[in-house]
Amino acid sequence: MASTKMKIKKNKTGGRDVMVLAKHPMETGLRKDKKTGEKIPAHYIETMDFAVNGAVVAQANLGAGVSKNPLIGMSMAGAKSGDTISVSWTDNKGETGTVEKAVK
Amino acid sequence: MKKLVSLAVGMGMAVLTASTAQAISEAEINNDIAEFQGFFLKRFPGVALEDYVDGVNSLPQYAHRRANWELMMDFPPYEPEMEKAEEEWSAPFANGKGFNDCDLAPANTYPVYDGASNDLHTLVADLNACLEANGEQPIKNVKRGRMARLIAHYKSQFNGKPMAVDFSAAGAQTWYEKGRQFYWAKRGQLNFSCADCHVTNAGNSIRGDILSAGLGHGVGFPVYRTKWSMSGKPWGTVHRRYGGCNKQVRASPFSAQGPEYKALEYYEAIMNTGLPLKVPSQRQ
Amino acid sequence: MKRRIFLKGSMAAGAIAVVAGAGLLAPTRVLAATWPEAAFTAKSEADALKAFFGSADAQDSGDVTLKAPLQAENGAVVPIKVMTSLADVEAIAIIVAKNPSPFATSLQMAAGSAGGMFSARIKMGQTSPVNCYVKAGGKVYKTSQEVKVTVGGCGG
Repeated sequence: MASTKMKIKKNKTGGRDVMVLAKHPMETGLRKDKKTGEKIPAHYIETMDFAVNGAVVAQANLGAGVSKNPLIGMSMAGAKSGDTISVSWTDNKGETGTVEKAVK
Repeated sequence: MKKLVSLAVGMGMAVLTASTAQAISEAEINNDIAEFQGFFLKRFPGVALEDYVDGVNSLPQYAHRRANWELMMDFPPYEPEMEKAEEEWSAPFANGKGFNDCDLAPANTYPVYDGASNDLHTLVADLNACLEANGEQPIKNVKRGRMARLIAHYKSQFNGKPMAVDFSAAGAQTWYEKGRQFYWAKRGQLNFSCADCHVTNAGNSIRGDILSAGLGHGVGFPVYRTKWSMSGKPWGTVHRRYGGCNKQVRASPFSAQGPEYKALEYYEAIMNTGLPLKVPSQRQ
Repeated sequence: MKRRIFLKGSMAAGAIAVVAGAGLLAPTRVLAATWPEAAFTAKSEADALKAFFGSADAQDSGDVTLKAPLQAENGAVVPIKVMTSLADVEAIAIIVAKNPSPFATSLQMAAGSAGGMFSARIKMGQTSPVNCYVKAGGKVYKTSQEVKVTVGGCGG
C-alpha cells in the first residue's frame, strides 16, 4: 500500500489546493533511542516536487523542523479537470516517495 | 456521598442510595438525559447539541486552540489509516466468511443490553465474539490498533445517525445505574469524579488544558490522537481513554471491556441520546 | 555539501522540455534543483533569510495572512497555513524565530503557477513568533503570529 497520499480540492479562485500526507519519521538526528542510548540518525524529506502532467510547477523544501508524517499543502493556479497531478519527494538518504491523482 | 447527593439534587436528577440502586425507571432515565443535556445547553449557549460531538473543540474556551483541529481536519492524519481499516475489515476469515457476516447491531445503538445473559454487549465484544464464532483468534489488544480501526470502519458507516441506545429492560436500567454512579463517584488520590471535571468544570482550565464537556463523550470514538501518534499508537477506544483518565486522577484503571467501563460507556452513550455519530475523531 | 538532482529519469527530461518549450520557465525563475542547505542550517532568522531570499529585508503586508493556532496543542505538530492574494508569487517561507534552526520549510513556484497558499505541520520547541515570508514581484513581504507552546495538561 502506497504510503504517500494526496487530496485535491478546487479552491475559491478556480485553482486547486493540493495536500500531501507522507509517511516519514522526519528525524532531527538529535533524539536518542531509549533502549540503546544512541542518537537516531537524521532522516528527513528534503524536496517535494509538484507536477502537472509531468511538468514541475513547484518544489517544497522540507527539513527536520517539519513534523513526523508530514503534511504539505499548496495551491496551484494551472491545474484543470483531466490533468494529472503528481508529487514526488526525496529525503536526505536518497529514499523517495511518490503519488499521483487525476484532477476531477 | 453527601456531595454526590447535593450535586445530583442540584441538577434535579433522581437521587439513589445504595439500597435503592436497582430501582430506576425508564422515565427517570429520560429525565436524566434531559437534565444532563439541558445543563450543557445552558452553560454554553452558543453551542448546538450536535456540535458536542466535536468535543472540546466546540467550546468557546477552546477558541485559541481550535485552529489546531480545523487545520488538522483539512487532511486528517487518520485518513490513510481508514484505508487500512477497510482492507482489514474486508479480509476474509479462513472459513470464507468475513466481518460483514457478523451479527452486529447498528453502531448508534451500542452498548446493547442482552436480557438472556443480563449483560451489556459492546461493539468490541461483538467483534471478538464473531471472530471466535468463525474459528478466528479474538483480538487481544482491545484498546488500540487493529480493533480500534475495525470499530472506526464499522461505526463510520453510520455517521450522522443519532445515538439511540435502548434502556427499556429492567436489567438494562440496573446497568445504567451502575454507570451513573461510577460517573458521579469520587475516585483516586485526587478524589475527583468524572462529573467534577466534565460537568461542574466543563470549559475550565486544568493545568495546561481545557476540560471537555461530558456531553458528547464517546460519540466520535475511536479517537486518533496526536499525542498517542508520537509513540506510534495513535488509535484509542473509549476504554483506552477511560483508563488514562482514571490514571490522571491517580486511581488504578479498570480493565478494558470489564463491567465498570462497560457500565460507564452505557451511561455516557445514553446521555448522548440524539447526538449524531461522527467517527473517527482527530484530537490532540 | 550535498547536491542532488531531484528530477529523476524521464520525468526530468520531459518536465524541463515541456515547461521550457511552453515558455513557462522564465530565466529568472528557474526552480532550484538543490535543497537550500544554507537556509536550513542557519542558526538565525536573518541568516536564513539571506540564504534563501538573498536578503533579510521584508515589509509587513496585509495581503499575506496566516492561519495558525494561538496556542499549539502539541509542539511536535503545529499546523500553519499561509495565504496571499499577491500576484506573481515566487516563493513562500515559514520561519520559527525561536527554533534552533529557524527555517522550517519553504515553497518555490514556477512563474505563473502560484495559487497563493502554502501549508505545513511544523515542530516548535517553545512559544515563538511564526514568521511567514512571501516573495512576489521581486519583493519580499511578511506576516507574523505568535504561537504559544505549553506542555499539555491532562490527556490520558
